[in-house]
Amino acid sequence: MKTFNVISNTLLSENTFKLRVERPKCEILAGQCFNIGLPGLDINREYSMYSSADADYIDFIIRRVEGGLVSERLFDLKVNDKVELDGPYGAFLINEDCIPNNKFMFVATGTGIAPFHSFVSTYSNLDYKVIHGIRLDNESYDYGDYGERYFPCVSKPLNSKNSQRVTDFLQKIEISNNTLVYICGNRNMISDVYDIVHGKGVFGDSIFTETFF
Amino acid sequence: MILFMAKVFLEIASLQKLFFKLVNNMKIAISYPPIINKLGQKAMVSQNRNVQYFKKPTYLLPVTYAQAATWLSELGYEIYWDDGNADLKNLDEWFNDLVDFKPDVVVFESTTPVMKFYWDLTIRLRKALPDTVIIMTGYHSMRMPAETMNNSAVDVVLRSSHVDFALKKFIEYLDQHKSWRLTCPIEGLFIRIGKNDIRDTGSFKQVEPLNTSPIIDRDLVRWKNYAYENGNFLQTPGTYATSVIRDCMFGKCTFCRYNGPDLTFSMMDVEKSLDEYQNLIENYKVKEIFDDSGVWYRGKEARDFAKGIISRGLHKKGCYFGINTRFEYLDEETIKLMAKANFRFILLGYEAADQETLSRLNKGYQLQHVENCLKWMTKYGLHPHLTIMVGYYWQTKDMLDNTVKEVKRIMYSGLARTLQVTLCTPLDYTPYHKECIEKNVLLTEDYDDFDMSKLIVRTPEDHDYYYQAVKDMYSIAFSPRFILRQIIFLFKFRKRDWQFLFVYSLRALRRVRQHIFNLTSHQGE
Repeated sequence: MKTFNVISNTLLSENTFKLRVERPKCEILAGQCFNIGLPGLDINREYSMYSSADADYIDFIIRRVEGGLVSERLFDLKVNDKVELDGPYGAFLINEDCIPNNKFMFVATGTGIAPFHSFVSTYSNLDYKVIHGIRLDNESYDYGDYGERYFPCVSKPLNSKNSQRVTDFLQKIEISNNTLVYICGNRNMISDVYDIVHGKGVFGDSIFTETFF
Repeated sequence: MILFMAKVFLEIASLQKLFFKLVNNMKIAISYPPIINKLGQKAMVSQNRNVQYFKKPTYLLPVTYAQAATWLSELGYEIYWDDGNADLKNLDEWFNDLVDFKPDVVVFESTTPVMKFYWDLTIRLRKALPDTVIIMTGYHSMRMPAETMNNSAVDVVLRSSHVDFALKKFIEYLDQHKSWRLTCPIEGLFIRIGKNDIRDTGSFKQVEPLNTSPIIDRDLVRWKNYAYENGNFLQTPGTYATSVIRDCMFGKCTFCRYNGPDLTFSMMDVEKSLDEYQNLIENYKVKEIFDDSGVWYRGKEARDFAKGIISRGLHKKGCYFGINTRFEYLDEETIKLMAKANFRFILLGYEAADQETLSRLNKGYQLQHVENCLKWMTKYGLHPHLTIMVGYYWQTKDMLDNTVKEVKRIMYSGLARTLQVTLCTPLDYTPYHKECIEKNVLLTEDYDDFDMSKLIVRTPEDHDYYYQAVKDMYSIAFSPRFILRQIIFLFKFRKRDWQFLFVYSLRALRRVRQHIFNLTSHQGE
């Protein structure tokens, strides 16, 4: 049985938390995901890694889903509690050969920012922008880690005049033709964003997607 | 008033369809040729998964292609739903009928073991129909488009698994642009623009809004052809639902075609799927519905679906429901709800009983959770169906023996009701296929040999040992212990258990014999 200790569990906003667990002894690539389960629960769920591929631990940011059997139990975890990890899996990755000659645009909604945080924590030489769709102002998790490269799009901000979605933001900007676009989050957003960036001339081979659900 | 409005709406819809029909007069064939091997078995290319050859009739509705046909028909194109197997045609009859139809476009679905057949077929078809646009789709050609272009008379290779969306966009463009070969901007296509000149329009759109693709028009695809001869139906007529997930929400298993950096998944809304079930039950009198999504809903969507079935009263209409799922996906509460909603057949990819194999395959579950998942399903009266594979290139005698032993234990204890064993065959350039090439364990490069009838990878044990394991596992069905277990189930006084023993078992035994023959015919060679 592959169980790992919880190192910390930190509340980021009302329903979102950062779970830090021991790192399995295996090769892990930025952008990959793990199946997380709890001993005795007999079900698991996939979560993308939030931390650097080189860190001594693994972070996940998780939204607590009402009635969600796994996320609610994970929310309640304390230091030294155990979780089961299966993985890592997935091909939502950055090809390192592309880093010197390309710009990167990361478009996420909510906790879909996890693989992008993992990318920017792992690869220090990325030329990137993060466009993050969130509902409330306080959901800009760890925005300081991206500096001026972070562009929040808040749908329900305190000042409602500033409300915008990632699709509104993308309509307004130019995208250079050497940009690789990564999109992660809910499927409707991915479909809409794909159409916008494709319409702005980004070739299908330069668009990568990962659906969260 | 509401009735009047509904009538007006229907009138407008039919007028709109008539208008489209007048404007769009292109003829499109979605075609499955009857491919028959030396043993007289037919290739089931349409089975939404890997192709297999069957002697006994088995007709499987290709769901995404049926949606494509429906969508194009709604746009007014003349659709020729052309499944040579389901229409009981031989190859010449099928070919002549297709030529007589004189389609403007023919769409084929391909997969590794039938690639060579298709390449030759398109060359023959090109001679008979010189102006027809031939489109090749399917998971093999989408990953190796240049190979198909080089070996066939195909005009377009569709690189998308969203055949409905891609075809809809492409056909509309083709219809309106004479110079489509040079100008078509639609992503995910390989287009022939000259004898040795190909245009690549780039990777396809991976996530499509499934809610906009139509629910299958059952009459258009002659659904009754597929309603009776399907080994997984306990009651007939049965049918496949429009899949709620495309392709798989996990999508990481290395042997599965629903895996790759080019694939992610899309999901249909629960309410739309429920509407289809209601229509199938009330208007088509369907008695069993199977959703062949790589993995069906889980969590909230699974519970909402089950609740929806119950609130609409569809659980009392005598129709069973079936799905594919994964271990560690459904919790007890959800399973209980599904059972209440009259779910029955639950297909689970078990694959092997050793953690090393599961890890190598990226199965994403741990063996210790199998037992409880099956216990919950059995407790609430569901019929779990296990799929197992043998012949992984790393599979040792111990691993295989352990799998056979565990499968026997599960089946004898009544934790699963049916099983299916296949020879693990690398196909469609999946990660497992590529791994076999890289590790140099493939024993053949001839695609005809990839038909799942024999092992084609180098294994630690003699191949006969794996064939024997197939026999051993299928023979469980004939074991007195297994039969006794089914008799014990009768005392639960559930209709489905009685049907299982007295109706389904007799049918299943025929199929078990066929499977044993198909999978072990190379034993001793």
